[in-house]
Amino acid sequence: MFGTGVHLSHFAAMVTFALCVSVAFACLGRQTLAGRIKYALLSLALFLVIGVGLAWLMYPFSK
Amino acid sequence: MATDAPLTEKSAERSAHPIAAIAVVAAIAAWAVPGLGHLLLRRWGRAAFLFLAVGGLALVGYGMRGEVFNTRSTDPFGELGFLADALSGAFYFLPRLLEAAGPDVSRAVGDYGTRFLAAAGVVNLLGVLDAYRIASGRKS
Repeated sequence: MFGTGVHLSHFAAMVTFALCVSVAFACLGRQTLAGRIKYALLSLALFLVIGVGLAWLMYPFSK
Repeated sequence: MATDAPLTEKSAERSAHPIAAIAVVAAIAAWAVPGLGHLLLRRWGRAAFLFLAVGGLALVGYGMRGEVFNTRSTDPFGELGFLADALSGAFYFLPRLLEAAGPDVSRAVGDYGTRFLAAAGVVNLLGVLDAYRIASGRKS
């Protein structure tokens, strides 16, 4: 179906992962629509900020 | 009055059995097809978003040519990988359809795909537990 595969950059892969997991956490963890949207956005933001933050912290060790 | 107590206990046991059966059916349905357990419990939104989240992770994982572990793994990590992959239910049986070229973990993207597939199973496990709790009346 996907032929040779889906080509995502590392950042795009991280965003996709964070989005899917945030949506699942929000719909399982909150009851109301407003609560779910708020939770999903907060979770997504934390995934991205912590992911990019850890990447920068590890950057000096990559050389 | 003394004979009422055992009767009440028996009737309580009888009424608890259908709830337990429904909870088990909901959990199995939730495992087999992500979101189906919630669909049976009339939690439409939760069912749709769970299906999209698990399906999205699995499809992107297959697209990135992640590895799907099977039961013949010889190391503990492979067995854990199989467990995580198998938890995604119907999506576990799709690699022949979606990943015709086979896995390719020689690139980082393929390795990420393996993690996406495992995450799909783990997220579906959360859905299975949620469906079970709702069906057994422990959660609204």
